Amino acid sequence: MVLAAAAAATLAACNGIFGGIYDQPVAAEDLRYGFVEEDADGRGGTLVLDVRPYDRWTFVDFAMQRVDTAHAGEAAPARWDVALHRFDASAGTGAVAETGLHSVDEAGWETDGLTFVADVDSAVMVDLSHMVEGEIGYDSVPVNPVLSHWVDVDLSQMPPIYTPSGKVYMLRTADGRLVALQMTEYMDAAGRKGVVTIKYRHP
Amino acid sequence: MHKTILIATTLLATAFALLAPLSATAQRVVIGLVHDTHGEPLPGVTVRVAGMPGLGTATDLDGRYMLKLPDTSNYILCASMVGMKSDSASTRAAADSAAQRRFARHHLPKGKSANMLVINFTLREQAVGVQTVVVTATRTPKTLLDVPVVTRVIDAKEIRSADAATVQDLLEAEMPGIEFNYSMNQQVNVSLQGFGGNSVLFLVDGERLAGETLDNIDYSRLTLGDVGRVEVVKGAASSLYGSNAVGGVVNLISREQTEPWTLSVNGRIGSHNDQRLGGTLSLKRGRVSSSTSLQRNHTDAIAMPAPGDFGNLYATTSLNAKQRVGVEVGDKLRLTARASYFFRERESAVEQHDRYRDFGGGVKGEYTINEATDASLSYSFDQYDKSDYTLAGGLDVRDYSNVQHTTRAIANHTFGSTGTLTVGGDFMRDYLMSYQFSPEDHHRQYTADAFAQWDWAITTRLNAVCALRYDYYSEAAADHLSPKLNLMYRLDQVALRAGYASGFRAPTLKEMYMNFDMANIFMIYGNAALRPETSDNLQLSAEWTHNGYNLAGTAYYNHVKNRITTLWSQALNGMVYTNMEPMEIGGVDINASARWDNGLGARVGYVYTHERVADGGLLTSATRPHTATARIDYSRHSFHGTFNVALTGRVMSAVTCDEYTSLTDLTSTERRTYPAYSLWKLTVSQSYPKGITLALTLDNILNYRPAYYYNNSPATTGRTIAVSLTWDVDRSFAKSALTE
Repeated sequence: MVLAAAAAATLAACNGIFGGIYDQPVAAEDLRYGFVEEDADGRGGTLVLDVRPYDRWTFVDFAMQRVDTAHAGEAAPARWDVALHRFDASAGTGAVAETGLHSVDEAGWETDGLTFVADVDSAVMVDLSHMVEGEIGYDSVPVNPVLSHWVDVDLSQMPPIYTPSGKVYMLRTADGRLVALQMTEYMDAAGRKGVVTIKYRHP
Repeated sequence: MHKTILIATTLLATAFALLAPLSATAQRVVIGLVHDTHGEPLPGVTVRVAGMPGLGTATDLDGRYMLKLPDTSNYILCASMVGMKSDSASTRAAADSAAQRRFARHHLPKGKSANMLVINFTLREQAVGVQTVVVTATRTPKTLLDVPVVTRVIDAKEIRSADAATVQDLLEAEMPGIEFNYSMNQQVNVSLQGFGGNSVLFLVDGERLAGETLDNIDYSRLTLGDVGRVEVVKGAASSLYGSNAVGGVVNLISREQTEPWTLSVNGRIGSHNDQRLGGTLSLKRGRVSSSTSLQRNHTDAIAMPAPGDFGNLYATTSLNAKQRVGVEVGDKLRLTARASYFFRERESAVEQHDRYRDFGGGVKGEYTINEATDASLSYSFDQYDKSDYTLAGGLDVRDYSNVQHTTRAIANHTFGSTGTLTVGGDFMRDYLMSYQFSPEDHHRQYTADAFAQWDWAITTRLNAVCALRYDYYSEAAADHLSPKLNLMYRLDQVALRAGYASGFRAPTLKEMYMNFDMANIFMIYGNAALRPETSDNLQLSAEWTHNGYNLAGTAYYNHVKNRITTLWSQALNGMVYTNMEPMEIGGVDINASARWDNGLGARVGYVYTHERVADGGLLTSATRPHTATARIDYSRHSFHGTFNVALTGRVMSAVTCDEYTSLTDLTSTERRTYPAYSLWKLTVSQSYPKGITLALTLDNILNYRPAYYYNNSPATTGRTIAVSLTWDVDRSFAKSALTE
């Protein structure tokens, strides 16, 4: 009888018990990308970008609050301030300086002590479909060496080790505007690496 | 030291208090210790006086006894215990012994010595471990002396004296041929004489464990706190255990409760903040018994001092909780219920941790129909989950769940002295939800089996065990017949064993239905057309046992067909699960052990493994061909407790194997050699009469550090140290034989 009762009690648990202790993954319809939040004073906000695909660049125009994407080999939009490809970053014809700050809210706009660095040509991985054959497809494109240090990705072991700098970076755009940037997350709440959260402030 | 002196003083004061009135009546008091050849005190040993029925006593939990003799004449005292060789001593000889004179000189005032004697006994097992009852090889209780399949037992004493932090450490220290190392992403992988995690069946009290990662169960679920012994049967055993019992079976058997209550708590801390804290409370009241066990383990992250396949070991914390309750209903029915919870968190990234949970439970009814027949019916539930915990978002999202419901019935009938027939069957529902499945996120299958075994005592010296099992797996639509035949011929001190056994492993749901994008790099596909892995296992062994000496040698050969692996498919442009070409695995396994009355013991083991892929195919496995373990220990027992020192070591040879240069090009290979290594561990412990045991362990005392940390290198950063404290609380409250 005990065995029968136990068996009956577990019929309802055929596919397991205590499922309620877990959180549900974020539903696709709840995922929000782009300029998702604006500060109360309208001088800054939060930007979320899905930069997971290796064959795609994501372009951000802070002035127009616009996000565009283009696959490798496609033309970039006419106007943009920053572009991300996985964890590589480009400032286009602008330049970037690393600050000692760890919050964009602390950003000052005096640039005398900052060293702005422009993009340099660099090889970025764009095609991993033949990685297991030992062949990785690279593109040689301009990448900003300072802004690309926002996270260090150690590929010497699997899975890679991600170490964010936590620093605030000062972007001087091609038309001379200043934007303070801080990449606060390299993955989203569901743990998907390559969903980047950026805090930004204007002067 | 002060505590030791205090305890000794207390003991002597008690003895003197007893002596005072005795001297006037010319009685004689005999006190002493009874211990085994390991130096372990033996409780419950009968100490009686020859020729005087009714005059006797039994040792207490610390192995001590006290007897009051009517006068100072010469008497013969005999100490005896089931499974041990009896020992005797005369009071006259004891009174004249150097030990007695030394004791009297140091501890007894003048005039008292004639009335008090110290007689210690050392009882030797009738043969090394042969009286140990094992169940794994035949699924029925048999002593090691009688079991026709070579079985290695690591008993409670060895478990405790090894002071092993984990089951992996224990098995590696005690058995040659087994190695735990890492596969991708620091997932633990076992290798047992050429067989990997999916071909070695781990059981807890005969029940298999749900869940796997990279073909291996979660070994952190196996804790030693409530384990009475570990039984290891090498070779195929699918005729009794079905799928996965291809290369061997490791069965952890829980300790049986016999005392009204026992409580043992233990703590261990070592280098890298390696912590273990646990305890077991066992109760027995009339027909009800209960055992509650808790254990928490933690280790900090460890930075490897040299480059390698892994740079930092993840910090890990785990918690195990187990509860068992047994009830005797009448004289014939015993009911057992159990429940368990397991949690492990691995800090694999700064922002995200891996979490593993298991919920287990079961009930079992064992019914003794008559003296010759018994039957059992059991139900077991096991759910193993994996989730990703993202610290920033606080989300704990489950992405893997394996749920197994198993019902089992077994019956045994003994035909006098002819033999025992065992019949049984299992039915299992196996549910698997996994992030590696797509588009459906789950699959399930049903498995059913029936088996029969005939354990035939052909003569008093010749024993045969034959068995046949039929397994059916619904999703693979696979079935398999697994036969076995084991023979044992026993001479006085020699046992000769020979056996054939079939091994079998059904394709898992993962291997059949995986559809997984590996980090945007390549796909891994399952294969619903996989055939079951099978093996034919032959073993020949000889074992010699005499007094404290044991020497055993086994030669084995396995022909493995359809081993399941992943290979690159040009057609699918990804990895796909595939059956391999047949392969052969053979070798020898030699073990020798000795134990002397002076407390010294030694054990050495050596395993040679040779693998070969049929038709000259490429051998890509990295099984080390030569492995050896060694142990030498010494125990000394006194009124102040037991002192143990043990040096254990394992020596692993280098291994050279071929590896594919590229996963997608199966024509290009390179030869790689993984270096040899040896690790040695020194453990010193002191047990005190009130149940306190202190241990100090120095591991990797030769300070071995790999120049490069391959996944199959030992994950050691060099010499480490650990201290542990075990307190058997019940022994602190137990009545001493000296105060009766």
